[in-house]
Amino acid sequence: MKELLPFVIVGIASGSVYGLAGVGLVLTFRTSGVLNFAHGATAAAGAFLFYWLHVEHGLAWPLACAVTLVVFGFVGGLALERLTRSLNRASPVAVVVLTVGLLLATQGFLALRFGDAIRYFPAFLPTSGFHVAGVGVGWDQVIGAVVALAGAAGLYAFLRLSHTGRSMRAVVENPTLVQLTGQRPATTARIAWAIGTSFAALSGLLLAPTLGLDATLLTFLVVQSFGACAIGLFKSLPLTYVGGLVVGVAASLATKYITVRPWTGLPSAVPFLILIVVLVAVSNTKLPDAGGRIIVADRRPPRPAWRSVALAIVGGGTLVALPFLVGTYLPLWTNALSMVVIVGSLALLLWTSGQLSLCHLSFAALGATTVGHLTGSGAPWLVALLVGGLVAVPVGALVAIPAIRLSGIYLGLVTLGFAILMQNVVFQSGFMFGTETAVSTHRPVLGFVDGRSDTWFYFVVLAVAVAVVASLLAIQRAQLGRLLRAMAESPLMLATSGLDVSTTKVLVFCASAFFAAIGGGLLVTQYGSIAGLAFSPLQSLLLVAVLGICGTALVRSSVLAALLVAVLPGYVHALDTNTQQFVFGTAAVAAGLALANRPALAAWFARSAAETEDRVQRGPVPERLRVARRGDGRRRSVFAGRGAP
Amino acid sequence: MRTVSGHRTGAPGLEVERLRVTFGGHVAVADASLAAPVGRITGLIGPNGAGKTTTLNACTGLVRPTAGRILLFGADVTGWRTSARARAGLGRTFQTPEVCAAMTVRENVAMGLEARWSGANPLRQLVAGPGRRRAVAEEVDEALRACGIAELADRAAAVLSAGQQRLVELARAVAGGFEVLLLDEPSSGLDEGETVRFGGILVRLVAGGRRGILLVEHDISLVMAVCDDIHVLDFGEMIFAGTPDETRASPVVRAAYLGPDRDEAGAAGGRRR
Repeated sequence: MKELLPFVIVGIASGSVYGLAGVGLVLTFRTSGVLNFAHGATAAAGAFLFYWLHVEHGLAWPLACAVTLVVFGFVGGLALERLTRSLNRASPVAVVVLTVGLLLATQGFLALRFGDAIRYFPAFLPTSGFHVAGVGVGWDQVIGAVVALAGAAGLYAFLRLSHTGRSMRAVVENPTLVQLTGQRPATTARIAWAIGTSFAALSGLLLAPTLGLDATLLTFLVVQSFGACAIGLFKSLPLTYVGGLVVGVAASLATKYITVRPWTGLPSAVPFLILIVVLVAVSNTKLPDAGGRIIVADRRPPRPAWRSVALAIVGGGTLVALPFLVGTYLPLWTNALSMVVIVGSLALLLWTSGQLSLCHLSFAALGATTVGHLTGSGAPWLVALLVGGLVAVPVGALVAIPAIRLSGIYLGLVTLGFAILMQNVVFQSGFMFGTETAVSTHRPVLGFVDGRSDTWFYFVVLAVAVAVVASLLAIQRAQLGRLLRAMAESPLMLATSGLDVSTTKVLVFCASAFFAAIGGGLLVTQYGSIAGLAFSPLQSLLLVAVLGICGTALVRSSVLAALLVAVLPGYVHALDTNTQQFVFGTAAVAAGLALANRPALAAWFARSAAETEDRVQRGPVPERLRVARRGDGRRRSVFAGRGAP
Repeated sequence: MRTVSGHRTGAPGLEVERLRVTFGGHVAVADASLAAPVGRITGLIGPNGAGKTTTLNACTGLVRPTAGRILLFGADVTGWRTSARARAGLGRTFQTPEVCAAMTVRENVAMGLEARWSGANPLRQLVAGPGRRRAVAEEVDEALRACGIAELADRAAAVLSAGQQRLVELARAVAGGFEVLLLDEPSSGLDEGETVRFGGILVRLVAGGRRGILLVEHDISLVMAVCDDIHVLDFGEMIFAGTPDETRASPVVRAAYLGPDRDEAGAAGGRRR
C-alpha cells in the first residue's frame, strides 16, 4: 500500500484539476446544449495569458491570476456564449466543426505568438511540502486540490441555493419556459459560460507548472476531463468532480504498473478508455439530449448529361495534363489526390450518412503501416494496398459498435477517444509504427509504369483516386446511398420500415475505413516513409474542420478540402503549420455557424428565390425577361429542412 | 363507404393481448387488448393522453411493454426488434411525419420497399440489381397512384405541406407491402375535402383483403365513416369496443369524451382538435 501512496497523491492532485475542468464543461454543456471541444484550448489560453502577464510583463502573480480568472473568464465567457448561441439544438456536426475550429484557431494563435517550444512555467505556488507516512506532499499540490474542490463545491452550492443558480438549472431543461416566466435565458447562459471559462483557465493555471507551457499538451490534458464528465454522465456536477479524481488516480496508478511497450502510452489514454467504456455501457437515454437533427447533404437537381460529359472531359484533361504544367510542385498535387481519397471517405460518413468520426486518420494510419510492412516483406504493391484497406475494415466495424448505440456529439467523443487510444498505444506496437515511430516503403513498378518517377507515380495515384471517387459516387447514387441519406434524417422511419439500421451503420463505417486506409497507403508510398505523427488525433480534427469549411457535397467538398490541405500551403509559403491551423480554425468557426444556421439561411434563399419566381410569372414583361435571362430560377432550389417556412 | 369493405372476417393480422405499458410509476396503457384483422379498418380513439400512440409504439417495438403480448399473424413478436416486426409485415406512420426532407417524394416512397427488402442482409443493402430497381419503380408508381400523390412524385419532400407529407408516409407504407398498417392521426393537416378523399383511399387500400389498418384518429367523423370496428381508450384502459353505430350510442364513450354530466351532442365531434 505504501508504495502506491505517492501515485495516489499525484493522482488526486491532477484528478481534482480534471474534475474542476469537467465541472466547468458540464455546466456550459447543460446550460447551452453545446459540448465545447475547445474547453482544453480555453485552459491553455488562460495559462498563456497568465504567463504573458506574470513573466513577460512582470505583473505580480496574484494580480495576474485575478486578471486571468475574472477578466479572461468574463470576456471569454461572453464571447463564447455569443458564438455558440445559435448552436443550441443545432446539428452535432455543426457543434463539432465550430468548437474544433475554435480549438485549432486558439492553438494556432498561441503557437504563432509564443512559438512551438515548451516554455518553463513559473511555479507560483509554494513548492515546499510535508511528509505523510513517509511520502512527500507539496503545498502546491494541496493548494491546487483545495482550490479545485472549493470551486466545484462553491458552484454546486450556487446552483442549489441562489436564485440565478436555480434559473440556470431551469434553462437546462427548457429555455423557452424560463423566458416565459420573465427571466432571460441569455443572461443565465452568459453567467454559465463565464464560470465555465474561468474554471477552464484555473485548471490550465494549476496544470501548467508541472507540465510546462505547451498549447497542445495543455489542450489534450484538459480534454482528459471528458473522462470525468462521462462518469458524471454529462449531467451531475458532484459525480463529474469525483470522476475527475477517479480518472486522475487511475491514470497515475497505471504509470506505476504499465512499463512495457507498447502499453506505456496507455496511462495517458486512461481517461479516454473510461470515456469509451462509460458511453458504450450506459444506455443512450441516460445521457442528456445533445443537439438536434443531423445536417443533410446538399441535394441539387441532377446535372444535365451534357454538363456531366463536359465536366468529365475538362476535368479529366486537366488531371492528365497537370504533371506537365505544375513543374516541381507535382508532389503537392499527388498528395492532394491521396487526400481526396481520405477526405472523400470522411465525407461519405459525415455528409451522406450523418455519422461523426474524429478518428479518420487512424484508419489511414492502418493502411499506411500495412502497406509499409507488406511491401517490406516482398508483397506486390497493389496487393499490399488492397490488404491495407481490408485491414481497416474490422477496425471500422469496431468503431461502428458505439455508433450503433450513440449518435451525434457522443459518437464524436468516443471516436476522438479512439483516435487518442490508437496514437498512444496501438501506433507504438510492432505491427504499426513500432519503436521507430515511422514506417517506410518503396514506390511500385507496375509493368511499364515506373512509379519511382514522380510523373508516373502521379498517374498511379490518379488511377486509384478516380476508382475510389467513382465507388463513392456509385454508393451515393445506389440504393445504399438512399438508405444512408435516410439514416441521417430518420433512422426511426427506416427501422419501422424493416431496415436493420445497425447493419447499415457497420457497412458505412467499414466502407469508409477501407477507403481511408487506401488513402493512407498512397501517402506512405509517395513519401517513402511517414511518421505516426502525421496521423495524430489533432490532424483528424483538422480534417473534419476543413471538410466543414468546404460544404456538404460528397465529391466537390472533398476535392476542395484536399486542395486546401495539400496544395495551398505549398504555394502560399506564408501558410506554415501554425498559420494554417489558425486560418483553418477560424474558417471552421464561420463554417460551423453557417451550418448551424442553415435552415435560416436556406429560408432566406428560398424567399428570394420565390420572389424571383413571382416576378418571372407575374411581373411586367421587361422584368420577366431580365430575371429569366439570369437563370432558370430553379437554380436556387430549396434545400432547407423543416426550418423553412 | 363501409359497405365496400363490408364485414368480411379477415385473417388475424395484429393482435394485442392485455398490453400494459408503464413509464416510471405512470400507467400509460393498462391491460388493453385489441385486434386489427386483415381486410378491415380498425379504429382506435380516445381523448388526448389516453395511450393511443403508446399502444402503437408498443406494437412496433419502440417502447417495451411491462406485460402483455403482441401477436402478428399468430406469431408472438413481443420481444422482436422494430425492424424485424416491420419485415414480418407491420408498417406504420407517425404523428409528426417522418419523411426525408432532402429526398424527392418518389425516393421517400421507395424507401419503404428498399428498407424492407434489404432488411438485415448486408449484401442486399449494398447492391440492388437492375431487375430489382425496375420492380421497385413499378411498385412505387402504383403506391403513389393509390394514395393520389402521383403528381407530386418528383417534388422535394421538404416543400410539401404537412398533409401531403402524411400521404407520402402512407404511400411509403403501402409500397412496403406491409399487411398491417398502423396510422397515427393521418388526417390532421388535411382539410375537409381532403379528409373525405383520404377516407376513400383507406377503404380502397383494405378492399383487396390483402391489408388491414389500425387507425388512430381524432377526426371522429372520419373514424365513423371508414372503420369496421372501433376501440376506445381512456386513461390507458380499453373502455369500449364495437361497431361505429354501437360506439355512437354508447353512454360509456360519451362520458369519456364529454365528461359524465353532459349527454347531448353525441360523441361525434366532441373532441375534434
